[in-house]
Amino acid sequence: MTDVETRIAVNPGRVEWAGDNPGIYLRESPDGPWTGLGIFFRVLFSAHGQGSAMIILGDPAKAQGFPDARNLCITTNIEMTRFLVQDFVSRFPSFRSQPALDAITWLEAESHRSDGDMNTSWTETMTASGCEARMHWAELGEPFAVEVTPKDCATGIHDMYSVFLEARTASISVNGESLSGRVCERVFFGREMSTAFLAVSETWVLPATTQI
Amino acid sequence: MPLSSPIHPGQVVWTGENPGILLKEDPDGPFSAIALFFRIYLSPKGRGTVLLLLDSPEERRTFPDGCNVLLHDNKELAEYLLETFILKLPAFAALPACESLSLIPMDECRSQGDPRSRYSEIVKSTSLEIELVWDGLGKPTALELPAELTGGKENELYTLLIESTNPSIHINGQRLSGSPVERVQAGIKTTTAFLYFSETWIRPA
Repeated sequence: MTDVETRIAVNPGRVEWAGDNPGIYLRESPDGPWTGLGIFFRVLFSAHGQGSAMIILGDPAKAQGFPDARNLCITTNIEMTRFLVQDFVSRFPSFRSQPALDAITWLEAESHRSDGDMNTSWTETMTASGCEARMHWAELGEPFAVEVTPKDCATGIHDMYSVFLEARTASISVNGESLSGRVCERVFFGREMSTAFLAVSETWVLPATTQI
Repeated sequence: MPLSSPIHPGQVVWTGENPGILLKEDPDGPFSAIALFFRIYLSPKGRGTVLLLLDSPEERRTFPDGCNVLLHDNKELAEYLLETFILKLPAFAALPACESLSLIPMDECRSQGDPRSRYSEIVKSTSLEIELVWDGLGKPTALELPAELTGGKENELYTLLIESTNPSIHINGQRLSGSPVERVQAGIKTTTAFLYFSETWIRPA
């Protein structure tokens, strides 16, 4: 598990969850702070069951929930989503220092819909009472597979397998109002890539050496 | 784990879910019933759902005399998977039933249950209602297989394996006979009934 020569077929770690995890991170200027963050989960397996969840930080710097600020989570499984926020999202570099994350309003989903085709564009829409949140990815690139260890993983502690597709354009809206900012460039595992991406067929594994 | 760089240099062929059930009436005999399900998110032929169902794998029985069928909501995808994946698996290529498959459009498909305990896929067409059930589900294991450890020996594979010890296949309410048998995958003793989630096939660079 520590070098290329020891590549093995069976990961001995504990599977934490598997599913899809696309995201959109927006800025108004390339060097400025994040102005809109959105992440979606479609979980097929976790210790807390299956479900879908959309977490939007439309006002990342404000420690306020919806509707005072556009900081919210719509979910079909609250227990699963609390696990994902605590053990995953709060460790992601773009999310972890945002005052909004601890202040998000939790909303029970009334509906969820996926539209599109991963060759061109993709949209996830979730609704709750008084709230419709939408994430849209377009100008999708070629898919590529990634396999990361804790050293390169967004949480810093997991192994992770995934398929990524870069989106050259993307938007996040809450009740029809688009969040400000636009997709920017970032260096992703040594490759220039936009801050909007589809990430499907993910599996997150806690290595045996990290388990308590 | 790990690659020399986190980005795999190969080309993604398809990604999605690929659970299956292979049953035998006699542990030393041939398979008596086979179901291989595909929920594809991304492939050269787009998205879609496909189910290979063989109720008499050793016979050339065309539907409706036999239920050796390929149900689909994307015909191009079904033909693509048959040619480039299913028939590349030696155990399937040799089956007489695969020479007489009927391609049938599906009207509806949904999953239900919980992959921690009991999970099912329900597929409906005009004249068929099929339920695949994986019960007695085990702990999930993440696999990263080089091409030589896969059935087709052509592409690399990432997948999440959850084995089932008590699966069943139902066609129009009738349960097919047979039980899963033991098999070994990448050195792990498992069964011929499995959920495969987060499955990605990659053509090596």
